[in-house]
Amino acid sequence: MKTKRWDLSRRTFIKASGLACGYALFGVRMAREGAARVLDIVGLRQDSVHKADANPALYRYRKSQNNPMVKALYASDGFLSEGPAGSLSHELLHTHYGDRSASIEGIDGLRRY
Amino acid sequence: MSDSSTYENPGAVSALSGTFQRMEGVNYRLFSPEVSNLESVFFVETDPARCQGCGKCQVQCPTGARHKQPDGTRDVVDPAACVNCGQCLTICPYRAIGEGTSYVPEVLEKLKDPNTVVVAMTAPAVRYALGECFGLPVGTYVGGKMHGALRRLGFDYIWDNEWAADVTVMEEGTELIERLHDGGTGDRPLPQFTSCCPGWIKFCETFYPDLIPHLSTCKSPVGMLGALAKTYGSEETGVVPENVYTVSIMPCIAKKYEGLRPELNASGQRDIDATINTRELAYLIKEAGIYFTALPDEEADPALGISTGAGTLFGTTGGVMEAALRFAYEALSDEVLSDLATTAVETGRGLTKVTVEVPGFGPVRGAVVSGLDKAAMVCEKVRAGRADYHFIEVMACPGGCVNGGGQPVDPSIMDASLFKKMVASVNKRFKMRRIA
Ligand code: SF4
Ligand code: SF4
Repeated sequence: MKTKRWDLSRRTFIKASGLACGYALFGVRMAREGAARVLDIVGLRQDSVHKADANPALYRYRKSQNNPMVKALYASDGFLSEGPAGSLSHELLHTHYGDRSASIEGIDGLRRY
Repeated sequence: MSDSSTYENPGAVSALSGTFQRMEGVNYRLFSPEVSNLESVFFVETDPARCQGCGKCQVQCPTGARHKQPDGTRDVVDPAACVNCGQCLTICPYRAIGEGTSYVPEVLEKLKDPNTVVVAMTAPAVRYALGECFGLPVGTYVGGKMHGALRRLGFDYIWDNEWAADVTVMEEGTELIERLHDGGTGDRPLPQFTSCCPGWIKFCETFYPDLIPHLSTCKSPVGMLGALAKTYGSEETGVVPENVYTVSIMPCIAKKYEGLRPELNASGQRDIDATINTRELAYLIKEAGIYFTALPDEEADPALGISTGAGTLFGTTGGVMEAALRFAYEALSDEVLSDLATTAVETGRGLTKVTVEVPGFGPVRGAVVSGLDKAAMVCEKVRAGRADYHFIEVMACPGGCVNGGGQPVDPSIMDASLFKKMVASVNKRFKMRRIA
């Protein structure tokens, strides 16, 4: 009788610990699911960007103004000889924006800011 | 082509009609939009037959564009409300969301045409994710191999968008300095917002039009590169711009929208003829039978090719800020910035503040946000006049372009949802047994 009871409780204990393991596994899997998992990947890609910036074998220069092909573009005999934000720059490289708020008027359920 | 990242029921019949191609696990409608289609195209497209109505995309969408349909599926209510960030596509556990456009057939045609000079314009972030499509570890830098692959695909020139990012630093940094000197008065107020991200631009134009004067007037790097390819590039190579076909290769879906903006015709032609993303490039490479991982590292082409660490930083949140500060510091102070760590920008999930002490000028204050929900928070501050910054960097995708809507999709999102589905079905069976 006593042994039986002990057996039972031991089996219950094993069952309970098995369950606990199961839940722990669930927890890990769920924490890494969806958006959180995506952020892991993003972190790895971001690290790689910063490492490349600091790696002279990949990028000899770290500042845009030191890039020889940028210097050549803005040189006094270069294509953009007026320098950055000159009139040709404004023609080719700058733009303008338009108010689009009318395009969503009357659409219900949008996040209104 | 077999696609290892597809887990869904192969028997599922699409509810969409048209011609589609699955590329890296994402369904693409083979349709090359034109400028006239700009406001009517759905750049993300949902297949109601695949949608399980879980609502994850709706939670993820920063504009509220994804609405519940009568049958419980979700879809974009109106293209005007969608800023094409593609975050819904990357999060959908059932791959129900695909892209409504793909220039891939047109690009293949142009590559074959001997009279067309095809130019590849590759974004920084592409080279940090493309390798994943070929079994390389997440984040592997494959810039050199990417150039090699583009050459073997038949692109005539590889003009690097990282070079254009350097040009952007010069233009946008100069604009910032001008605004600082003017004290942010008149129609050029402070803080100045970055303008590289087309998802953010459409968001600002649609939801915060009153803040448009704060946007830098600079085009994005690829907007600049398209215009320069058909002017400066044509001059340098002797190719008439009429024969040049520019292909913007991006980690992004919103760049397809940007490429079609009517005003991007500064060269007298369409500055950007086609836009594809990382997944489509991987598809092109695989279809051509190129053994990607065995390729040698190659360089981009001269004149618009060399790039810097500052240029590559554009691929991540905080990077545009860091690159611009490296320039602005030297331009404002006339001193060489020797310790790059002084401008290091730490980025977390929310808003990041940066202050750099510039000799002879004083502190330059910046803020960095990624994710449009965070951007909205900053916009509210600017609107209320409580944003004491000079320069604010915004990227629509959480973490920046490396997490763009056009990047390879994380297959484990599918894994995880399959696991959940399995658990759900086990529970269901268990309950049924109990009842029985
Ligand atoms: S995330 Fe995918 S399956 Fe879920 S509601 Fe959106 S489209 Fe449908
Ligand atoms: S692409 Fe972005 S804005 Fe458009 S529906 Fe998807 S999450 Fe929303």
